[in-house]
Amino acid sequence: MIGVFRRALGDFIRHRFFHGVCLFTIVLAVFIVSAFALFFINAGDLMAAWQRGVRITAYLEADIEKEQARAAAEAIKQYEGVDTVSYVPREEGFAWLKDQLGPHSSLLSDLKGNPLPDALEISIIRELEDGEVLDRLAEKITGRPEVADVEYARKWLHRFYGIYNLFRITAFVMAGLVFVAIMFIVANTMRLILYSRREEIEITRIIGADEEFIKYPLYLEAAMLGLLGGLGGTGLLYAGYLAVMPKFSSGGLLQFFQVRFIPPELTVFIIISSMLVGWLGCYFTIRRFLRI
Amino acid sequence: MEQNNSELHRQIIHFYRVTKHFGGVYALCDLSFDILKNDFVFITGPSGAGKSTLIKLLYLGERMSDGYAIVDGINLSRISRQQIPMLRRRIGVIFQDFKLIANRTVFQNVALVMEVAGFKSRSLIRERVGDLLELVGLSHQADAYPPTLSGGEKQRAAVARAMVGKPKIILADEPTASLDPAASERVLQLLRAAHARGATIIITTHDRDLLSRFDARAIYLEGGRRVDAAGGEAG
Repeated sequence: MIGVFRRALGDFIRHRFFHGVCLFTIVLAVFIVSAFALFFINAGDLMAAWQRGVRITAYLEADIEKEQARAAAEAIKQYEGVDTVSYVPREEGFAWLKDQLGPHSSLLSDLKGNPLPDALEISIIRELEDGEVLDRLAEKITGRPEVADVEYARKWLHRFYGIYNLFRITAFVMAGLVFVAIMFIVANTMRLILYSRREEIEITRIIGADEEFIKYPLYLEAAMLGLLGGLGGTGLLYAGYLAVMPKFSSGGLLQFFQVRFIPPELTVFIIISSMLVGWLGCYFTIRRFLRI
Repeated sequence: MEQNNSELHRQIIHFYRVTKHFGGVYALCDLSFDILKNDFVFITGPSGAGKSTLIKLLYLGERMSDGYAIVDGINLSRISRQQIPMLRRRIGVIFQDFKLIANRTVFQNVALVMEVAGFKSRSLIRERVGDLLELVGLSHQADAYPPTLSGGEKQRAAVARAMVGKPKIILADEPTASLDPAASERVLQLLRAAHARGATIIITTHDRDLLSRFDARAIYLEGGRRVDAAGGEAG
């Protein structure tokens, strides 16, 4: 094994130009995958933060007593997907509306009395990822005898969930495509390397080398390329993240949102995947090239 | 009969009606001969006679199309892919175009044979390769890369590579064809030295002057067939 590693390292140095080209392309590809991961993770966080603000308002029938309203609130709290339920008496609702209107609150002074009913403010749990689940929950709440009407941003939420799911699917597809691209890059570069070394391989065979003697260092070289490419790509992204983030967080849209780097376990996964994909690219090329 | 048995025991190469064709073109046809252990044999004939093809058949660079051949006890028509490297480790090959690996030093080119054969000890490799390079007069060029060497030096490096694994057979395909007379003589001296150490030497050449300088057996080929020295069919 030490011998194989030594030969792989020797070949790596001897063929540094081709290996350099291959390494550069892998670093670039891994950088793109990691950048996508970084973007999607933070976009997901941002959406989850928005999602936390999603509420269902259930307006109660006019003849509902306070005790009945509180009992309804308790019952709704047990529903799947519900996080908190708070009872908002009509007076409190009116005061809130007045407060929201600010300088235009005089508009309400012409009203004869308080037109608002008592209401329940229902916040949903953040893991609720599907608009249809929310629809079902709203329907269930509407079905209660105490509830006169239910209001929530149905259209907006459906669009939100649509975009969110599209984001997730796109992230997976993009990551998959880029990894396939890495495999092709490694396979083609390895083909170039093997082509440039075909005479060397032929000579090595003539002096008695078996397939393992030829193959193993090449596999190791490809895995090393994948590993270095993975480390390089994620390292480059991290350097970029460290360089760019202070500028973003000092002001603008992101000042209320903490952009985080891809989690360590995902970074390790990307590096290992890069290594495996590098090895696979090499494996298929060697199989064809050496006709094993 | 006793003599026959003794000869069979000494036989290292046995060719019987060996044919090699590439599509419809016959490179070797019905070729039969025997070579004994520690023989020094020339394979000679004009260009296109099939000399290089014969060398390739011996180290299994090509497979024969028909016939029967034994090399050091191994039947070449039945040898498996896995056995080929084992056979090649018993054979040292020298080529007209040297076939040295350009991006490895002379030392590394020669040492590669030992690495391929599974030698692990770096000190043993260093010692044996060092001795061989001294024998071929290339100690001072151990760290040089082949493109920086003269033709004669490259061929001496190739001879060292062929000898370092202590092979039973050394095949030399036109080893002196691209060398000046002094360099040729030096290479032939080295092959004589390998012969003196017990190796069977097979040299292909189209140079009949070279044959006249040696008291060695010659196999004549013409158009892929074995002929006698005068050019008649030898069977």
